[in-house]
Amino acid sequence: MISVLVIASFALAACGSPATEAPVEAPAATEVPATEAAMTEAPAMEDVAIRWRTRPDNQEEIDVYSQISTDLDGELDGITLTYEPGGSEGANYQDQLKAEIAAGTAPDVFWIPGTDVADFATRGLILNAADLAAATPDFSVDDFYAGPMFHLTYNPETGAAGADSGAVWGIPRDVSTFALYLNMDLINEAGAPDPRELAANGEWTWDAFLDVAQKTRALGSDIYGYGASAWWGPYGVWLNASGGGFFTEDRSACALNTPESLAGLDFQRSLYQDYDVATPYGEDPEPTFRAGKVAMFQNGRWATPGVRTVDFEWDVVQLPDGPSGTAGNWLFWGAYVINANTEHPEEAWALAQALTTAQTQGKIAALGANIPSRVSQEALDSFLTFTPPANNQAFLNGIAADANPTAEGPLWAGSWPEFDKVMGPAIQGVLTGATTVDDFGTTICDEANKVFTQ
Amino acid sequence: MTTHLPTDPRTENLLRISIIWRGLFTLLSAAGAIFLWTGTLLPDSPLWQKIIITVTLVTASVFSGIGAVQISRRNHSGRMISLVVDYLAFVICVVAALTIGEVFIGIDALAETFTSGLPYLGIVALGYFLGVLDEYFPQKQQNSETSLKVASRWVMLGGFALFLLQVGAINGILYFLGKLAQPAGIVSVTGVVIFGLSLWTMGRAATAQALHVKTNHEQILNGWLFLSPNLLGFLIFFAGPLVLSFYFSFTDSDAFNTPSWVGFANYAKILNVRFALLTSPDQLARDVVNIKVYDEVGRFIFGNRGILFAAADKFFWLALRNTLTFVLFAVPLSVIPALILSNVLNSKLPGMKFYRAIYFMPSIAAVVGISLVWQWLYNATVGYINYFITLGIDFWNNLFNLAIVDPKIQWVSDEKTALLAVVLIAAWQTMGFNTVLFLAGLQNIPGELYEAATVDGAGAWDKFWSITLPMLAPTTFYVVSTTTIQAMQVFEQVFILMNPAEGPNNSTITLVLYLYRSGFQNFQQGYASAIAWVLFIVIFGLTLIQFQRQRKSSIYES
Repeated sequence: MISVLVIASFALAACGSPATEAPVEAPAATEVPATEAAMTEAPAMEDVAIRWRTRPDNQEEIDVYSQISTDLDGELDGITLTYEPGGSEGANYQDQLKAEIAAGTAPDVFWIPGTDVADFATRGLILNAADLAAATPDFSVDDFYAGPMFHLTYNPETGAAGADSGAVWGIPRDVSTFALYLNMDLINEAGAPDPRELAANGEWTWDAFLDVAQKTRALGSDIYGYGASAWWGPYGVWLNASGGGFFTEDRSACALNTPESLAGLDFQRSLYQDYDVATPYGEDPEPTFRAGKVAMFQNGRWATPGVRTVDFEWDVVQLPDGPSGTAGNWLFWGAYVINANTEHPEEAWALAQALTTAQTQGKIAALGANIPSRVSQEALDSFLTFTPPANNQAFLNGIAADANPTAEGPLWAGSWPEFDKVMGPAIQGVLTGATTVDDFGTTICDEANKVFTQ
Repeated sequence: MTTHLPTDPRTENLLRISIIWRGLFTLLSAAGAIFLWTGTLLPDSPLWQKIIITVTLVTASVFSGIGAVQISRRNHSGRMISLVVDYLAFVICVVAALTIGEVFIGIDALAETFTSGLPYLGIVALGYFLGVLDEYFPQKQQNSETSLKVASRWVMLGGFALFLLQVGAINGILYFLGKLAQPAGIVSVTGVVIFGLSLWTMGRAATAQALHVKTNHEQILNGWLFLSPNLLGFLIFFAGPLVLSFYFSFTDSDAFNTPSWVGFANYAKILNVRFALLTSPDQLARDVVNIKVYDEVGRFIFGNRGILFAAADKFFWLALRNTLTFVLFAVPLSVIPALILSNVLNSKLPGMKFYRAIYFMPSIAAVVGISLVWQWLYNATVGYINYFITLGIDFWNNLFNLAIVDPKIQWVSDEKTALLAVVLIAAWQTMGFNTVLFLAGLQNIPGELYEAATVDGAGAWDKFWSITLPMLAPTTFYVVSTTTIQAMQVFEQVFILMNPAEGPNNSTITLVLYLYRSGFQNFQQGYASAIAWVLFIVIFGLTLIQFQRQRKSSIYES
């Protein structure tokens, strides 16, 4: 009997926490489970409980988002917020999120990468907030970068995009782009020209890049001129910069076999196979760069907090211009979207807006991990002050309009995850020397085009 | 309970109520099943849920009706049926009440506040210690409680009460009651009370006597009662999902929307393959198969000709190929070294227990942690494995003025070595556990056999070959079977170690990984279920072959 009493007591104790009095009348789909509610102050009975989630990269980001949640909790009337840090990229944030949506336990507002918007929208997992946006005088799609907003306002039923398309799938949290993180100690030791000066003089081309890479590679068998991770972002820029790309212009078919795409891929292949200047493809180059053994490390702004801990002289430079005259950079982005099953869409929309104000974005950008998604000179000027790196302008050059960056985007006419699963291994085959560029070009779109019919 | 005594009026009344209750329950269950299909009850539930609920309700209704009849005939089977039906309904209502009260998700909240209550659990421990003292220093009164024992009890109760207060039991109770005040909560609590009362009624000794229950009937019921937690767990968490996945394998379920029946389409896609003759080794697949349907999986070249193997789902066949290759290497590498090691460790030398523990440690370490450590070790540029290879080559080159080229193996980024890297981790991790199993087998071999062999002049190898191996056959069979099944389901090491998990050129995509990708990344749950059943058939077939070989070669059979 005592055992039963003890178990029952524990069970009842498990129902809540000292700091929590979740509203009894809150609907099941969005009410605050006692677990997360422990992180918040006890809400007033009439408050609506809203849970939200991002994918932070480190504890510092978690702390900042937690503080933002606390601040907004005080500012938003009638809403009680609970912030849930999601798993990291390696922990399959989206897989877990989708499983929670299927189980009906997902948060009201959550962040997803730009490539996943179509998948979530076409499955009916996220809310089309067009009506809410139309009823919000302060909201304008023009306040944000055009690339992300094209995809976030794309209406798959009409094929229209923009303010009047009848679709608003979310609001971009931030943007980012690639730059080359430079180990200046290695570059100076090799006597190679300073890439920052070459870029300033308009001489930062593929040939100049290869020259620096080869000179630094000559420093030793364990020193590499260039390093990049093995996913679509790094290899995509070489295709973009030569005038090619993954998809046709209307994003309805594979364009990996165009002469321009193949030329870009061939140049990247030569970095690995002919000139042997790159860290082995498929190996994570970040530890090698941080160990001081890579001269030019291609990565996004999100790598900055980690690179700040290295003990050599470093800076960043924009990507080199390719045959097309641009660097072919990406405009990476992710968005806050609203759970289609939320019981409180108005409050969720209010939160999504509050999370993307210039003030909130400024707090997050101060960490150095990303760039505000609002187009404003004030935001850009503010970003330049978040040093090191000294040459923050390199990132802004990457997303500048004249650099013509390609916005990371979903595939409304097909399945992006499936396309990625076909493209990634095939490109890896080329870059590791297992497949020739010609063979790749001959067969890749036969297979990749199938994802557009799914 | 073998003698039949007259039934007391109270029991008679309770039996009448029970018959009415059983009849009412029969009608309610049947009505529930009907309302489910008319759309009055749970209108949005998918077909598979409706089928499960209908089967449950109809079964409950039929048995409850039979129970009512049997109770009216004063037959013991009426009591047994009543107890089983009410027990299951009682459990369902309790679980429903706890779920509605959010007890299960609140466990995390308890974890957050648990540490703050630990000092009060210390008071409970102090109370227990007082009780122990009382046992060591008993006072003179034999038949009455000592003051120390009373104090122990009150201290424990007080400490536990303070602990519950500290961890938030008051808030928890209020929250729980608030949740139960909702309609669904009230229904579930009412169910708990009604089914509980019915159980109590049927459980009474007087009721049992009135229904002519015998001792063996009671024993059977008690047996099932003790078995029920495990049995219910098996049915709900294993058999249930198994049946569901079989159903889903015939649908296009995506976990979000109502699935549609697609018949054998998922299986047909998996098994849709083509073999085509190639007139030259580099002839394109599109020249010999319909490339809109099939993708090239591989080609077998014989001189200037060859055979192309294409499939509608090439990833499945690549995964099957990789999984079988993994099994082919991982199983021998997990079993043979373990067999050798167990023979080494099966000695009386001092320190052997320490080494047994050391070799067993990888088996109990978390796979994720191990894989992350190996990921660093395998790093081609800054990993320790390549570092030591380079040191070794430099040493020999310097010592003998050789020119051995450092291979700088790209363990996880080269398609030729990626699967091998996973095999090495799996073998390293499994070997310790298999060693312990072999050790247990070795220690069961009678020492007289070895003594007799020694007298006959047998050497160490003869003893191992003619005594150890045959006598270990049952253990070896068990080890090989379980290691094979485990290897066929390889997932964690690949998922953590490789980035992307499919590895370079899909060289590490395995069946379970592909199943996960289909089910939880692409959310083709129906298709993933079909893959799971095909995997089951493959594993079942392999295990069957092992069983047959074991029967033929077993020393005990012969």
